[in-house]
Amino acid sequence: MSAGPQKSTKIDDLLRQALADDLPADVEAGMRRRIERFREAKAAAEATARERGAAGRAWLFRRTVWAALSILLLAAGILLQSGKASSPLADRIAAIKTEFASLETTRR
Amino acid sequence: MTEIARTSNTGRAVLRWLFAAAFIFAVVASGLFTGLMNKAGLFYLVAGSVAAALMGFTLREIAAAFRQAAGRSGSEDDRRKSAYFWEAAARNAWILGGLGSALNFIIALSRESDGIMDVSGRMIQSLIIMLYSLVLAVICLVPAMKLAGPAGKGARGLSGADGRQAPEGGSASPALPPGRTISADRIIGYVLFTAVLVLTVVFILKGQPPAGTLPIGKLLLHAPAYLVVVGGAIALALFAGAASGARAWTLGFAMTGLIGLLMGLIQALFGFVHRNVGEIATAVAFIISTASLTLLGLVAVAAPLEDREVMDGRREGPAPLSRFFWVLLPLLTFIFLILTFIMVVTPMTKPA
Repeated sequence: MSAGPQKSTKIDDLLRQALADDLPADVEAGMRRRIERFREAKAAAEATARERGAAGRAWLFRRTVWAALSILLLAAGILLQSGKASSPLADRIAAIKTEFASLETTRR
Repeated sequence: MTEIARTSNTGRAVLRWLFAAAFIFAVVASGLFTGLMNKAGLFYLVAGSVAAALMGFTLREIAAAFRQAAGRSGSEDDRRKSAYFWEAAARNAWILGGLGSALNFIIALSRESDGIMDVSGRMIQSLIIMLYSLVLAVICLVPAMKLAGPAGKGARGLSGADGRQAPEGGSASPALPPGRTISADRIIGYVLFTAVLVLTVVFILKGQPPAGTLPIGKLLLHAPAYLVVVGGAIALALFAGAASGARAWTLGFAMTGLIGLLMGLIQALFGFVHRNVGEIATAVAFIISTASLTLLGLVAVAAPLEDREVMDGRREGPAPLSRFFWVLLPLLTFIFLILTFIMVVTPMTKPA
């Protein structure tokens, strides 16, 4: 049960003895470079993620606008047709149909 | 292949084409003598088919398809692509026939008439384009079936210009980058198609009396139909998603067209029940305009996009549902044009 903490204390002592002095300059510089590279990579990844997020949001916005516009067009078309909106073509067809009806009445 | 066998093959191919030419000549000549002649319709169909082919295929692909149909040998993949070209040509002819009939029908209705017989005659005359389109579609289907037969026996998975193996059960590997670029051939195709449409309208108008002060553009535009077809097609294409590719557009236009046609028919029937001529006329205008715009969307937007997907190797072939709609919509347009003709000529008396 008590083996764990004892072992940790030994490792801590060992590390303290080994790192009693400052790090050699080249090792410290190497470590600093690595840390710097790690920070740069992290920042670049975050920037890419932000860009992707912005592009995704723009794509979603465009799709939403198109979807809303298309639904509006569809609804407007159905409403206009249901409201029997007239057009030059419909008026012309109505005139021909009336012409046919009057012809039939004349025959009778 | 020996020289004699090659000469024999070429000879057979020439005979086949001569037979096809004789068949077309016989159909046109019989039309001339039986009163089934529509010169503007014939011009529209032939020139429109050329333009529609250019909208979906490059000149090189078209030339290859003609060479293969004339008996030139080629790889399995080339034969498969050529067979697809001929199938697409038959499809274009069939759809253009429906579109031409519907446009001609609108123009016939919109002109001033010298009496009922005159209007009725013009309306029936417009259906002749559908007959021409059927003949042209059958002629185009012959090389399609001939080329598809041997190609089907070979490796089915081949695709792309370099004949790369497509993954099992999946879509083909792209031979070219799946680009959204539009080639010069296709631009020429679209320009030519627009010119053919305009010229056809001009030719039809030349032989018919004027329509008063209203310009033809206004008569061709029944706003609700345009709003429903454009809005519905975009909405359905967006709903289907980018993964569906060009098929989404076929589905969008076809389904919206079907809905529009049914809506118009139901409204017209209600018009008969209410004995309201205005209601029937609005419904008839909606039906014809919806049919025209749906077919225009299919032939000018959806079909060329699907053609490019197949020819670039992005898909093995068109979806069965797309094929079904390509056959169904022109046929339905024809049926609905006949129904609208009956609705227009059926006299309606006010209740006592």
